[in-house]
Amino acid sequence: MSNTKSLLTIKDLYAGIEEKQIIKGFNLDIKPGEVHAIMGPNGAGKSTMGYVLSGRDGYEVESGSVTFNGQNLLEMEIEERANAGLFLAFQYPVEIPGVSNLEFLKASVDAVRAANGEEAISSSELLKQAKAACKQVDLPLAFLKRGVNEGFSGGEKKRNELMQMLLLKPKLCILDETDSGLDIDALQLVAKGVNSQRSEDRSFIIVTHYQRLLDYIKPDFVHVLADGKIVKSGDASLALELESQGYAWLENGNVEAKIEG
Amino acid sequence: MSEWLESAISRGHQIDDWLAPKRTQAIDLLSTTPWPTRKTEAWRYTSLRAVQNSKAHEIETKTNLLPEHITNLSAIELVFVNGKLDKQQLPDVLPKGLSISLGSDLNKEQQSQALANFSDIKPKRHLFGLVNDALAQDVVIVNVEDGFNIKQPLRISSLLSLGAESHTRVQVTLGKESHLAVIEDVQAEGDSLCTAFVEYQVSAKAHLEHYRFALQTGSNVAVGGCHFNLLDHSSMHSTIVAFGSDLSRLDTDIIHSGEFVDAKLNAIYLLDGNELFDLHATVEHAMPNGTTEENVRCIVAGRSKAVFNGRIHIHRDAQKTLAELNNRNLLMTNTAEINTKPELEIYADDVRCAHGATSAQVDKQALYYLQTRGIDRAKASVMLNFGFINELIDLMPNTVLSEWIRPIIRNRFSAMEVK
Ligand SMILES: Nc1ncnc2c1ncn2[C@@H]1O[C@H](COP(=O)(O)OP(=O)(O)OP(=O)(O)O)[C@@H](O)[C@H]1O
Ligand SMILES: [Mg+2]
Repeated sequence: MSNTKSLLTIKDLYAGIEEKQIIKGFNLDIKPGEVHAIMGPNGAGKSTMGYVLSGRDGYEVESGSVTFNGQNLLEMEIEERANAGLFLAFQYPVEIPGVSNLEFLKASVDAVRAANGEEAISSSELLKQAKAACKQVDLPLAFLKRGVNEGFSGGEKKRNELMQMLLLKPKLCILDETDSGLDIDALQLVAKGVNSQRSEDRSFIIVTHYQRLLDYIKPDFVHVLADGKIVKSGDASLALELESQGYAWLENGNVEAKIEG
Repeated sequence: MSEWLESAISRGHQIDDWLAPKRTQAIDLLSTTPWPTRKTEAWRYTSLRAVQNSKAHEIETKTNLLPEHITNLSAIELVFVNGKLDKQQLPDVLPKGLSISLGSDLNKEQQSQALANFSDIKPKRHLFGLVNDALAQDVVIVNVEDGFNIKQPLRISSLLSLGAESHTRVQVTLGKESHLAVIEDVQAEGDSLCTAFVEYQVSAKAHLEHYRFALQTGSNVAVGGCHFNLLDHSSMHSTIVAFGSDLSRLDTDIIHSGEFVDAKLNAIYLLDGNELFDLHATVEHAMPNGTTEENVRCIVAGRSKAVFNGRIHIHRDAQKTLAELNNRNLLMTNTAEINTKPELEIYADDVRCAHGATSAQVDKQALYYLQTRGIDRAKASVMLNFGFINELIDLMPNTVLSEWIRPIIRNRFSAMEVK
């Protein structure tokens, strides 16, 4: 394993928004095929990390480096990152009335294909794939015709994010609380969706508050993110530990000491 | 006064038919109305040069023109060819509860009724409405009996051959608790001039679904109007889709004459080149408890010009009115022009009324979202800009029509994008 090339390497990353530093010395290394879970209290910077990696406007990197599939990620445009195989499933997906889901999916699939030197997908082939993906995430087909996320319920939006992931086949999937707001059945559905996509050349970062999800998706690593950096890493058992202990041990600032002790 | 109007008046004088009393009234008003200039408020941004210079004239010989086919649409076709009703294109059998007749074919009694209703809804201030009163070639009367839901839409097409002038007029009455969908469109071959006016009487609890497609372009001059009178608990949903031409102008009046009326008006403009489209939309809330929702969205490119005047007048007795006017515009080039003027006049105190006129800014969050899915910024903006219009297409109640018009609009929009 150790000599496999990393898919994503984040080194000493400091980043924030509007002069407010949120990511404070973040390090993470992900190899192809690995599943990493990131947990941590509200406001720790989990979503911010996803925004920084995706290249969202307004999120400034002060220092540090991010290498994705051998390329300097921080120098790439948002769409280039996506076309290189980075996918962020949003905690709060955006509603875009007037742009139909299917039209959006076609543009998106075509963009990724073009980046890989492939021809645009035919409408009928896309429809076929989209229907299959809808079925897999249990989203009625009528949602393909509606505006992107327009009027979707919280859970439906999450399913729609997963559906996009299924169609785009990214190298790295960052799922930001895709399990929040889902009923128990849907939770298993997310897990199935992710498990069906697990492969040697696809990695996952799963941001979640609930150990529950990790019962279904066995992570290779669990990290605790607090105040902008990873304060503890472990295997799947760490999630269980957190479930019983909560984050109280993070208090009083002296994080490292508490963990070690 | 302009030569064009003088000629119109003298032509009006020569027509002697059942409408003569109304024609005379209109002519009297026209004779005292000054020809609009840039100082005339209603024509401030829209020059009438195209009318003055028009060489179009009424064509007497019968021409065979067919309305453009709308895929999957099965409509009752009411076709005017160069201003004359083409009876052959009317279906032999109409749905039960619906009648369509030519004013001149009515018996004396029916005619006097039709005469009383004629121009009763359309306000007198519309100059070309008066011209239409004076010159209307064929007046068609459409009636839906009380309680009838006419499932098939009625399509009123005005077809003009090259160089033709036409003045068409339709009077539509929806009986109590009835339902009718009406599609109005104009198709012209060039150098034409038309005035096309329709008056709608919507009785209590009736519902009117309405479309006006003003897709004629180039040297086809069109000035028209749709005027709606709405009685207690009635409702209407109207969609206007317009491209521009040398001069294309539409006046709409939505009159809440009863209580608890619900009116929706969505208008889309897509202009390019030197085109002009001008919509003057007036809503009169004369009675309490009415609601109006108006959405007007313009995309202009080239050296085109969009004019929108949206007036909402809430009378003193119109308590509990809810009125909303939303106008969003998108300039694709800085040589294009948008003149928009919302006018709210509120004389009642217990009302909720809002208006907004904004330049459409591409939604940054939406742009980011599309980019995170690999779509480049330029393409994402195009998608969002089209989405801005498409939102109103999505609201069209008749999906056959929305599926027909969507690719037409998309093509036009793509052509605008290329430049
Ligand atoms: N635009 C902004 N301006 C200032 N502060 C911001 C902005 N956006 C986020 N923050 C702050 O950054 C911190 C990290 O937010 P982030 O959304 O990354 O947290 P999170 O770990 O995802 O939390 P949660 O578990 O609640 O989703 C929070 O304190 C938040 O208030
Ligand atoms: Mg978050």
